[in-house]
Amino acid sequence: MAVTILIPAPLRRFTNEQASVQVEAGTVAEALAALDAEYPGIRDRICEPDGRLRRFVSVFVNGRDVRSLEGLETPLRDGDEVGIIPAMAGGQ
Amino acid sequence: MIRLPRTCYEAIIEHARREAPFECCGLLAGKRDRVERVYPITNRADQAADLFAERGLMPRAGADPATLPAERYFMDPEELFRALREIEAQALDHLANYHSHPATPARPSRTDIEFAAYWPHVYHLICSLADPDQPDLRAFRIVDGQVTEIPIVVEDE
Repeated sequence: MAVTILIPAPLRRFTNEQASVQVEAGTVAEALAALDAEYPGIRDRICEPDGRLRRFVSVFVNGRDVRSLEGLETPLRDGDEVGIIPAMAGGQ
Repeated sequence: MIRLPRTCYEAIIEHARREAPFECCGLLAGKRDRVERVYPITNRADQAADLFAERGLMPRAGADPATLPAERYFMDPEELFRALREIEAQALDHLANYHSHPATPARPSRTDIEFAAYWPHVYHLICSLADPDQPDLRAFRIVDGQVTEIPIVVEDE
């Protein structure tokens, strides 16, 4: 499946400042692996060493948080958009 | 310097007052150094206890997650994603994040500084309601843990 990965501004230094990257993948995990093959190191910003999604990162398929879908095993269809965003958090 | 139209300045303060005693949060978008739009985002800190606990940033051990939004903010991820896409679609830049400190001064906390590490390229605005009659809105650049205050110029349109 040809899918588009939308790269958030804080991670664009890994992708030569590109805001989106096309990859072939059948699941979110495969998409992140393909992204990392092209831009080594970027997946470590998104996943823990054991492969789980980092808690402060959200990944989306067509705007839906994969935590409410099937996580990194969420299947992808042709034309899907995979989004990635680090948490925005803080407090007094 | 960050230039803020008065309508945007008032929208941030209104948002902070509406959510008090909970913290409000949102994004500011515009061009160059001038804000054009305010995007309020829902504070889901009550669902992010694990995120804060993992970093030792819970306000108190065993704090009730339902009360967390009074002392922490965590922007709803799907809303945040939609807002960032809309900002790009409008050909604006994501210039800043904002949140409120309902009861403490407008200075970045340890929690603010730690999470700002992921967003070093935007300003961080904090609206303090410590004196409810005198809201205090301040802007900061936070890079590698170093905090620099940036002047806010409120512009009358």
